[in-house]
Amino acid sequence: MSAHEASQALEPPKSVADRFIDTIEWIAAIFVGLVALNIFVSVVLRKFFDTSIPDGYDWGRMLMGILIFWGIAATSFRGSHISVDLIWSMANRAWQRRIDIFATLVLLFVVTVQTYTLFDKVKLTYQDHVLTYDLNVPTWPFFAVAWLGDVSAVILIGIRTWRLVFPIDPKPPVSDIRHD
Amino acid sequence: MTELSADAVALIGFVALFALMLLRVPVGMAMGLVGVVGYSYIAGAGPALKLVGQTSMRTVTDYTFGVIPMFMLMGAFVSVSGVSKELFKAANAFIGHLRGGLGVATVLACGGFAAICGSSVATAATFSTVAYPEMRRFGYPQSFSTGVIAAGGTLGAMLPPSTVLAVYAILTQQDIGKLFMAGIVPGLLAMAMYVFTIFVIVQLRPDWLPRHDKQSRLERIDGLKNIWAPLSLFVFVIGGLYGGFFTPTEAGGVGATGAFLLGVLRGKLDKAGIKEALLSATRTSAAVFTVLIGALLFGYFLTITQTPQKITEILTSLGLGRYGVLALIMVMYLILGCLMDAMAMIILTVPIIYPVIVSLGFDPIWFGVIIVMTVELGLIHPPVGMNVFVIKSVIKEVTFSTIFKGVIPFVITDLIRLLILIGFPIIALWLPSKML
Repeated sequence: MSAHEASQALEPPKSVADRFIDTIEWIAAIFVGLVALNIFVSVVLRKFFDTSIPDGYDWGRMLMGILIFWGIAATSFRGSHISVDLIWSMANRAWQRRIDIFATLVLLFVVTVQTYTLFDKVKLTYQDHVLTYDLNVPTWPFFAVAWLGDVSAVILIGIRTWRLVFPIDPKPPVSDIRHD
Repeated sequence: MTELSADAVALIGFVALFALMLLRVPVGMAMGLVGVVGYSYIAGAGPALKLVGQTSMRTVTDYTFGVIPMFMLMGAFVSVSGVSKELFKAANAFIGHLRGGLGVATVLACGGFAAICGSSVATAATFSTVAYPEMRRFGYPQSFSTGVIAAGGTLGAMLPPSTVLAVYAILTQQDIGKLFMAGIVPGLLAMAMYVFTIFVIVQLRPDWLPRHDKQSRLERIDGLKNIWAPLSLFVFVIGGLYGGFFTPTEAGGVGATGAFLLGVLRGKLDKAGIKEALLSATRTSAAVFTVLIGALLFGYFLTITQTPQKITEILTSLGLGRYGVLALIMVMYLILGCLMDAMAMIILTVPIIYPVIVSLGFDPIWFGVIIVMTVELGLIHPPVGMNVFVIKSVIKEVTFSTIFKGVIPFVITDLIRLLILIGFPIIALWLPSKML
């Protein structure tokens, strides 16, 4: 058994929610790679072959929309949004948990409203039959996939809230990433 | 029920915003919530809700904003490829043997790493593990070792590609490429001044920073061997941007793909590394976009309450003169730096402060550099400095007071640099003015 396999064997089995979040993170991560690849190929084609990927610009921006909304779902679940920890870091464990529950409930409310309003945007794009510039491909499916990312965010924030209110482990989940 | 005036709504909005942020509601979500509730109070719930869907989708599908995830991906690939160690090794091979040389090597390596990574906190965290053990091994004091890492970390926000400068450009509708270029000379000046600070420390306390053995020519060449590739990538990407060969988003995409290819071809990037880099770029980009969406929604609220115009009127009627108002704004940023991180501060304040700066006749590109320098100072100055917290979280053995003690000479240097930049805007504006 290799060291990697041994360490995997020691890890507790992942719950359905954890597998779900892993999948969501992977979807977003693959899209960030695709956006980079799309830009790179577009630049190479334009600069060296005087041609372009049909709708390369539209693919790029729509893939980015998908990656960001799916990324927001993962970021919301991990609690790694940019936030001010001044009071939280001075609070004791019980108050930290209360602050986290409040903040997550506000997050849940805001993302739910955003998801509701985004659905309108997807619906409008479908009704207006908005097409890409070169290939005339309908754009609404891309918007719909991006919107599904926001739906995932609502589900995941719901799971996070549940876990904070009814912790399985007495230690509440806290942020694991900080940003500058 | 008596209707509140726009001023009262704006005031309540700001109080609510700070309360939510202090209760750890994510900055972007707090700004979005307050913005939409405030806007709906004045213009009605229907138009306010419409703004949410439109602004969110428009922001995440704006090709120009792609510069953020792309440069983040480039930085992530370079970070997981172990470039920080290679840069430090190369700098150490050439100057590490001098008195204070390891400190200088840390500053130079931080600059090189920051130039690719674009994040101050990430630079500080990385060099806490790379440079600190070396400096301690050769008997450098804890305070100096951590102080120089904290200061070196701040270079991440100034040298391109800087995420903070990109966000400032987006918020103020300035040219991202020009802002990146504007950060180069002030960033190099920062490096030079940090090196000079170490020189002064060596002069004042010669026994504090001991010498160590000089490395052989072979070791020096070996050190250089590993850094040519990432540095070439940086020169290619930023050079392409400067020469008009790429747009900023294209430069990011090419840089990310280039960093990936270099990492794989040099055997520095395995499957786990690729996974880590992709996930890291995704998480950080999502966090930044959340704040951007929130800021744009909050911006509508500011517009409808005419807050920026009113603040401009108040500040310009104080009779302080343009530099007096600028000084007041700088002081506000230094105080805010004790409470918030750089990105949050920029996003929250720029929509309000920017019209004031423009009305006073200051150059928006120059102000971008000044504001980033000021918020970066907030990362290291007491009582709360994000870089200091990050270093403390990596190096458990050191106390906060020790780190802050080590940071003080560099804070003084930064304040002097800020004054130089205010006195001589050409330092920041010369390079952008030469752009093709």
